[in-house]
Amino acid sequence: MADDNTTHFGYKEVRTEEKARLVGDVFDSVAARYDIMNDLMSAGIHRIWKRFTIELSGVRRGNRILDIAGGTGDLAARFAPLVGDEGEVVLADINASMLRVGRDRLTDRGVPGNLFYVQADAQCLPFPDDHFDCVTIAFGLRNVTDKDRALRSMLRVLKPGGRVLVLEFSKPRNPLLSRAYDAYSFAVLPFMGRLVARDSDSYQYLAESIRVHPDQDTLRGMMEDAGFTRCDYHDMTGGIVAVHRGVKPA
Amino acid sequence: MSDIHRPTLHTAGLAAAEAAINAALRLSPHSKAGLRELAGQVVALECTRPALTVYLNGDENGELCLRGVYDGDVVTRITGSLDDFAELARAEDPAAALINGGLRLDGNSSTLIALQRLFNAVDVDWEAPLVSGLGDVAGHQLASMLRAAFSWSQQTGSNLQRQLREFATEEGRLAPPPLALERFYDDVQTLSERGERLAARVEQLRQRVEARFEAMGKARDDAGRSTIAETWKAS
Repeated sequence: MADDNTTHFGYKEVRTEEKARLVGDVFDSVAARYDIMNDLMSAGIHRIWKRFTIELSGVRRGNRILDIAGGTGDLAARFAPLVGDEGEVVLADINASMLRVGRDRLTDRGVPGNLFYVQADAQCLPFPDDHFDCVTIAFGLRNVTDKDRALRSMLRVLKPGGRVLVLEFSKPRNPLLSRAYDAYSFAVLPFMGRLVARDSDSYQYLAESIRVHPDQDTLRGMMEDAGFTRCDYHDMTGGIVAVHRGVKPA
Repeated sequence: MSDIHRPTLHTAGLAAAEAAINAALRLSPHSKAGLRELAGQVVALECTRPALTVYLNGDENGELCLRGVYDGDVVTRITGSLDDFAELARAEDPAAALINGGLRLDGNSSTLIALQRLFNAVDVDWEAPLVSGLGDVAGHQLASMLRAAFSWSQQTGSNLQRQLREFATEEGRLAPPPLALERFYDDVQTLSERGERLAARVEQLRQRVEARFEAMGKARDDAGRSTIAETWKAS
């Protein structure tokens, strides 16, 4: 953040209270074609990243899961059969359009009835303390205005010993890959966005927001500062994406 | 927290294998029922060369789940090289292969043996997908043709194998007959045992001769010492 009253919106500096609305506009615009764009942009690899995140979660039957910024419900759909009828999955998203697309999609696919939908802001989660066994946020943290506040909110709703998993774009380790990734992000992504979702600005924002998001070690430090212990991360696809894991102290 | 070095590749490989296996299992109702019975029992396969760990279990839908990361309890953990695992997968008697092979097993072996038997007994019912895709009449006709072709190819393969064996041993004299080969192995075994027995006898004789020589040398030394003492006394 540049100062207390401004924050990043991609490469732009905007007033803090404006960011949520601007991010909301982006997701309102792309919600209908979000899944197809994800598949196109990542060549389907986002499914592999999410699958690994679920493996790391160690979720068992009967667990209570919160999937923040759950969007179109990729993670929630996989969690629901894992926790079974005794468990519970809450799909939360600040954006009503995304939540609606997710709910329709999961209902159409016949995902079990242990799934609940909540429109909620990650910074002030409307759940009791020590409530969930696992909290996940996939490709959502970089859109949150105050990431530290969101991490503290996740810690609060987690049960002691519960896990948080943050799947997010990160910084590639290899300079060559980094250069190729930059070229892809700023030339190909907005073009694809214009072609498929008829919205190049949102995908320009996506590329910019990834660049201003904290790198792997910084995010781990932020999680530790928020109060998580045993924080670690795994780079995936050369560091383009990383999944961070932390545990709420008992 | 986890020792996976290339999570994307590892996870992609497991996801592809899981999808392929489950696609085959969907056509084999017997195997699906077997997997349902094993739901929740996680088996860890720990390959040392190359270093790779896979956790597998059946689920309530009769599907196989493959995972690279799992930190819960496992009913069976098998450790060994890729060759050892390949040997177990091919074995007609998995229990014997587990005992005699190079694999180390911790925990209960019955789940693993049940899984291995289940995969060996996969009997794909091609008629179901063909009927659902092409309709009852055409699907059944095509499935019957496929079954006949499969049975013919199996029979032809086995005939060809038998005839090639006969040609190699009887007509071309390119390979010895199995009985002659077995006799030769028996002779080699007998010769090897006789050789070992001979070596043991030679060693026994050598020790006996050495003991005899040692006794003779000691007697000569004692005799020499008494002659010197007598000479000293006389002088």
